[in-house]
Amino acid sequence: MSPFDMTMTPETNLMLAQSIYYDKVDLWLWIRWGLYLFAGFFGVFPLIVAYIVLAERKLAARFQDRIGPNRVGPFGLLQPFADFIKLIIKESIVPKGANGFVHLLAPMLTLISAFLVLAVIPFGVGLAPVDLPSGVLYMVSVSSIAALSIFLAGWSSRNKYSLLGAMRGVAQLVSYEIPQVMSILPVILWAGSLSMVSIVQAQQYDQGWFIFSPPGILGFVLLLIASIAEVNRAPFDLPEAESEIIAGFHTEYSGMRFGLFFLGEYLNVFAVCCLTTTLFLGGGSLPFQSYFAGRAEHMLAAPFDASKDQILKLNAHHEFPLNPGSGFRIEITNEAGRSEAFQVSHRTGNDLYLLANRPVDFQAGANARVTAAARPDFASPWHFSNLIMIPVFFAKVFFLIFVMFWIRATLPRMRADRLMAFAWKTMVPLAIANIFLGAIWYEIVIRPAGGYGHKLVGWAVTGPLTLAAIALVFRINRNSYQANDPERRPTLISRTGESLLAATTQGQ
Amino acid sequence: MIQALFIALSAFGLLMALGTVFARNLVNAALFLVAFFFVIACQFVLLEAEFMAAIQVLIYIGAVTVILMFGIMLTRNIQGDETTTVSKRWRLLGLGAFGTVCTVLVLGINAYQPWTDLAVRPEFPVTKDSTTPRGQAILSMTPTVGREMMTRYVVAFELAGLLLTAALVGAVVLAQHDSTDIVNAKAEKPGTEPAVTGS
Repeated sequence: MSPFDMTMTPETNLMLAQSIYYDKVDLWLWIRWGLYLFAGFFGVFPLIVAYIVLAERKLAARFQDRIGPNRVGPFGLLQPFADFIKLIIKESIVPKGANGFVHLLAPMLTLISAFLVLAVIPFGVGLAPVDLPSGVLYMVSVSSIAALSIFLAGWSSRNKYSLLGAMRGVAQLVSYEIPQVMSILPVILWAGSLSMVSIVQAQQYDQGWFIFSPPGILGFVLLLIASIAEVNRAPFDLPEAESEIIAGFHTEYSGMRFGLFFLGEYLNVFAVCCLTTTLFLGGGSLPFQSYFAGRAEHMLAAPFDASKDQILKLNAHHEFPLNPGSGFRIEITNEAGRSEAFQVSHRTGNDLYLLANRPVDFQAGANARVTAAARPDFASPWHFSNLIMIPVFFAKVFFLIFVMFWIRATLPRMRADRLMAFAWKTMVPLAIANIFLGAIWYEIVIRPAGGYGHKLVGWAVTGPLTLAAIALVFRINRNSYQANDPERRPTLISRTGESLLAATTQGQ
Repeated sequence: MIQALFIALSAFGLLMALGTVFARNLVNAALFLVAFFFVIACQFVLLEAEFMAAIQVLIYIGAVTVILMFGIMLTRNIQGDETTTVSKRWRLLGLGAFGTVCTVLVLGINAYQPWTDLAVRPEFPVTKDSTTPRGQAILSMTPTVGREMMTRYVVAFELAGLLLTAALVGAVVLAQHDSTDIVNAKAEKPGTEPAVTGS
């Protein structure tokens, strides 16, 4: 970002000092939280989960050349309500020696964890229920509570098989948390912030979707696989497998308690898909739009977002690289070295009008340097760009959910030891290698010119390195695969001890 | 209002701590401990350090509690029906020790004399302002923590890393199955020779 000089003239009186970094507790905040709690918590999310369950049944049926539920409503659309009524009127049987309080608490913890993850996801501009500066860390720590809930479910059922399932489940969850978190690290490096809203902004306005780079692709795949393991879905559903150890940790749950587990699992699927969309697919933004000057949605929104408190007018002698429009924030450094950020109200030709909602240090005619054309201010009221962003976000999320259903219908279940070996021997080394590749990409593409660096050079350098890393990891692991290990290769042995396969395989 | 919130939260936290100590069933005690850890995370949020709150939940509830639960379940009978009791003499001694600690704390806090060479700390800002160093540190907690870890506390950071590496290596060594058994099994099969004689 090349600095350049400009003169500024303050136009009107200054407003009282106000913070632009903390949420103002005003009507818009209550509306946002009310939307999340009542529309989201009680309405939209359970409905989405119910219809995801129906979609899974119909999709799995289509993969298996049958139709799926189509009796209850048109195309089976009222099936979730029938399931709900069935679950409610069933008796919730609790084993006699079970710890009743813990038995009820376990599915609640899964639900709590899933809802807390959904609280930081930006569904659109200004529609993240809570925008924490350390959002990614919060999300990781909250999703680690789910492991505890599986443990408590297995223990409180007073059933040895449940306990076995719970132990395996916790081992699996704890193992796959590590590649899940490590695959997010390149994203944090590129965005430069832990806040989910900043990550979406970095993809929307600077760098394009993070998936469009070799370390991004590898990180996306790792995050998707680890997330499937984290929510106990096939092929990683050994803890709750219906044909192994009865039913795993939720054997002793029936009626609405089982319904709560069911709801929690599919809500976790939804939360994890939202997370992947936000981190790698630019949650809500259209692809390749950071290359176009004046993003379409802000041009749509510009006439409605301009405010009347214009104070500073910048006469720009050079073009801004990023073509800031209304809603952008410009950071200005004066001669004393102090820098401040101002929100852009609107732009006419070469003149930028800035909002200054606090006392400023700059005098009329002073020279100042623009050090960064910063990102739009998301803590402002409703943006019309949400009309595009919310449908796009949900389209991406539902596509990822479809991919998860697809994988479930296609792949067989993994055995416990192969599952753990896959996590520790394959995914963790790949995730570590991905961090290095992400740093290389950062140095080539992002640091020189804020996302407009040499993307072709970046692809040429990191592409072969990514492929080499994957090949290396699989090559190192090749001796641990059962088919290649002579000690563990299965053979047929007759009663006298001779191998029955020797005559057939070695001669001919 | 923050004062009322703090008092309510602390009272709840103390109740959870008492539950941890007095609960008969070990797993119930562990659950009370989880609630107490969560209350500590809420206290961090009240102090405007949400990075620390997230780390608290991640490490204590996500990792330490899981290890604790594994320990309880693998070393007790399977449903944890045993309850813990303490004999009368130890109870009296415990009460005496607690009384001593309480007295020392109360007297010490009431008679607090600040050290004369203590660094002057910046005041708590009345308005949430991004121009003071403290305000900027709150806004950018993660970069601040990272920078301090790499400059001022780097020795502690490296030592902690060394300790964790030692723990990881020790865990791997302990969990490895004995390869001498495989060598002996190979020796019994006809027609094969062990390739190595050691482990």
